[in-house]
Amino acid sequence: MLASISSAVLRGVDGIRVTVEVHVAGGLPSFTVVGLPDASCREARDRVRAAVVSSGLPWPQQRITVNLAPSGLPKAGAGLDLPMAIGVLVASGVVPSERAVGIAFVGELGLDGSLRRIAGLVPLVEALPEPIVVVPPDGQAEAMVLGRHEVRAAATLAAVVAALRGLGPWETAARAPAVPHREPVADLADVRGQPMARRAVEVAAAGGHHLLMVGPPGAGKTMLAQRLVGLLPPLDADAALQATKVHSAAGETLPEGGLLRSPPLRAPHHNASMAALVGGGSAWLRPGEISLATGGVLFLDELAEFSPAVLDALRQPLEEGRIRVARAHGAVQFPARFLLVAATNPCPCGNAGGDRYCRCSAAARRRYRRRLSAPLLDRFDLRIAVHRPDPDRLTGAACEEGTEAVAARVAEVRAVTRRRGVSANRELSGGLLDRHAVPSRSGRQLLTDALRRQRVTARGVDRIRRVARTLADLDGARGCELAEEHIALAMHLRADTDQLLGVDE
Amino acid sequence: MNVIAPAEGAGRDVERAHLIALLYLPGLGPLRLRNLLAACPDAAELWWALTTPAPSGSPLARRLRAVELRGRVDQLFAAWAEAGRTVDPKAALRRHRSAGVELVMPGDPAFPDRLHDDEDPPTALFARGDLSVAAAPTVAIVGTRRATPYGLGIARRWAMALVEVGVAVVSGLARGIDAAAHDGALAAMDAVGGAPGPVGVVGTGLDVVYPRSSARLWSEVGRRGVLISEAPLGVGAQRWRFPARNRIIAGLADAVLVVESHERGGALSTADEALGRQRPVLAVPGSVHASSSAGTNHLLRDGALVATCVQDVLLALPTGGGRSPLGTARTQGSAVEAAPRRPADPEEAALLLALGWEPALVDRLVERTDWSLGATCRVLERLVARGLVVQQGAWFTQVRE
Repeated sequence: MLASISSAVLRGVDGIRVTVEVHVAGGLPSFTVVGLPDASCREARDRVRAAVVSSGLPWPQQRITVNLAPSGLPKAGAGLDLPMAIGVLVASGVVPSERAVGIAFVGELGLDGSLRRIAGLVPLVEALPEPIVVVPPDGQAEAMVLGRHEVRAAATLAAVVAALRGLGPWETAARAPAVPHREPVADLADVRGQPMARRAVEVAAAGGHHLLMVGPPGAGKTMLAQRLVGLLPPLDADAALQATKVHSAAGETLPEGGLLRSPPLRAPHHNASMAALVGGGSAWLRPGEISLATGGVLFLDELAEFSPAVLDALRQPLEEGRIRVARAHGAVQFPARFLLVAATNPCPCGNAGGDRYCRCSAAARRRYRRRLSAPLLDRFDLRIAVHRPDPDRLTGAACEEGTEAVAARVAEVRAVTRRRGVSANRELSGGLLDRHAVPSRSGRQLLTDALRRQRVTARGVDRIRRVARTLADLDGARGCELAEEHIALAMHLRADTDQLLGVDE
Repeated sequence: MNVIAPAEGAGRDVERAHLIALLYLPGLGPLRLRNLLAACPDAAELWWALTTPAPSGSPLARRLRAVELRGRVDQLFAAWAEAGRTVDPKAALRRHRSAGVELVMPGDPAFPDRLHDDEDPPTALFARGDLSVAAAPTVAIVGTRRATPYGLGIARRWAMALVEVGVAVVSGLARGIDAAAHDGALAAMDAVGGAPGPVGVVGTGLDVVYPRSSARLWSEVGRRGVLISEAPLGVGAQRWRFPARNRIIAGLADAVLVVESHERGGALSTADEALGRQRPVLAVPGSVHASSSAGTNHLLRDGALVATCVQDVLLALPTGGGRSPLGTARTQGSAVEAAPRRPADPEEAALLLALGWEPALVDRLVERTDWSLGATCRVLERLVARGLVVQQGAWFTQVRE
């Protein structure tokens, strides 16, 4: 007897539909899986057999052949366990074949017949044309994110078979909470006595400008990065779906309700490998940290400690908003549109350019500086020194503006920006920049002076204009002209990296 | 300047050649060399004794081995015998001649007088330029490599004022204060004819520019003043040579002025050397918060003279400053004492007042003025463009210039 069951496997952040064909015929009892299964997929044989037997269902003592079509595509993961088991049961007549029509199955089986959640349910379900999908119970919310399918869940293989034969119920679906709930974020009001850093964070959120913070340990760089993500507007429908897909594909836990609405903050440690950061690694090409940061913030603390190869790999995503990972068995593309926030000490001891004594030699500081390539440093529109705040300011009663107020301003600027045809001021370039960011007379004077004194470079001028545009937007200046004040502040928000890193040549 | 008298030229040349060769031997610093030369005054004889294995029973060998060398005698002698094979005295002398580097020894007319009766005099000095400038009244201006605009401004302007009244500036050509002092000295030479050129004392061979960023200053000082080193050509930066260089700076100076120094630093060792030679040491006071003034404030607590203006420095000179070649009249009108220009614009004046005379972050200025961040930056940029404020890293300092 022959059975054909629909399912899907993961490849990068996309699901690919797979038909599990099961043939049961006379011959010596055996169980073979063909169609390029990888190790985890081939092991399904043992799991499926044990699960069927432990569920009290008959295992056919015949020759069983499973083909995973399309057979040329490598398949990985345990998600095909359930469709294989159903296929065997249909082919051996335990489940009537007409009962399995129009239903797709995804899930891993335990030896006791229980169903387990697998990574990537969102993209997997997306790839399935069937109206009904059967998934493990803890994956139900995730599978329902798309809303295109009728999602059914059962806790065990026995329960699935019973429900298919009409002898038992499906598990009831958990209702998604009506109010999308936003995780509590760290409040910007906690940052005191650092007006420059506060403003930099606000500008980064409003204009999508990448931010580099240089400062000694304990100056509050991590604190600022955590607060930046709270200033970003919630993800819109498309961005939320994309972010959810990536998180699902990476096997990350999704928030209650399944859909990821708050911008993510990813902070990989500096010893992260290339594969962990940009993606790849396993046969199913897991998305990396930079893709998981899509729509949110990628925070690289101790930037100078990252391997140069890893930092170099950031350049393509920073330019194109996506990353292509190529492996011997194929290439995939991951989204990677993130706001890059980086922090570094100015020198090995951390005190250069601060008010404490720096113990590093000039050569040591230059060596430290060389770890950061010029093209990477150039990507940061905002480069600021962060200093330990005056202790008197920390204990004072003065109240700083909180996240809610600043986030409202940021949202307003983003709305204005969209009317210019870009998603953030960071993307303003060429004609758009000339149309929307025209320096005033005194502002132009300031820029010419700074150019003459080699305080800024010709390339830097465009970036300063972009940041000044965001500053003007934040101040509610809707005209195309940039005031001297905004240009002066933009210049201060884009400090010279050699000066920041205490290299004086 | 050729200091070799024709009659004794050949003999002196042989001595010079072997002295240079001796200076190339590893681990043979000024003290050891002086002790060895005391036991064997002829440099050529000493060279052969050290680099060719002689019967250890010879009287000279026995005498040399008895010299106080502070170290593993056998190892040192072995190392010298080894290194001696790679050095050719005649070639070394030719190399220095063709590079325009002069070797002066105690007893030569060109050898600086102040070093003749030094407690730890150099056995030989290599010089490029005119050594006679070291005969003028001299002040050593030294300080940290990591200087602030405050210290850099003082070093430069006071060096200018000193050179204008005929006092030569001695320094070490390091980054920071040293470089600023030499820069000021050169600028004053442009302004005043007949002003003495700068004296640069370095720790490496005169062809090894260190730090590399000082290359322009090296060539200028060598051309218009004099560059001095104890090391022969080709010797790179070695740790022990910098304190040794500092003692020559102290030895050449009538007074030592420390402009800025961190808690520890080479400038303090120069000050120590000067105190040991009974030369006056002056220090410029700085903020008690500034790490860059910790060393100088420490010196003041220990009794160094307070230097708040150029006159303080001139008064500390043994000549009293008043008898210096160009007179003191010029200092009255020099740029140093001119009242600082106050900006007419009320905003700019207010920001300068908030800034004060200590380096400050924009964050602090915003707090002190209670202005917006943008307004503070706008006014600050105007002051920077006008040269009234200098930026260093994220810090802004008011300067008198």
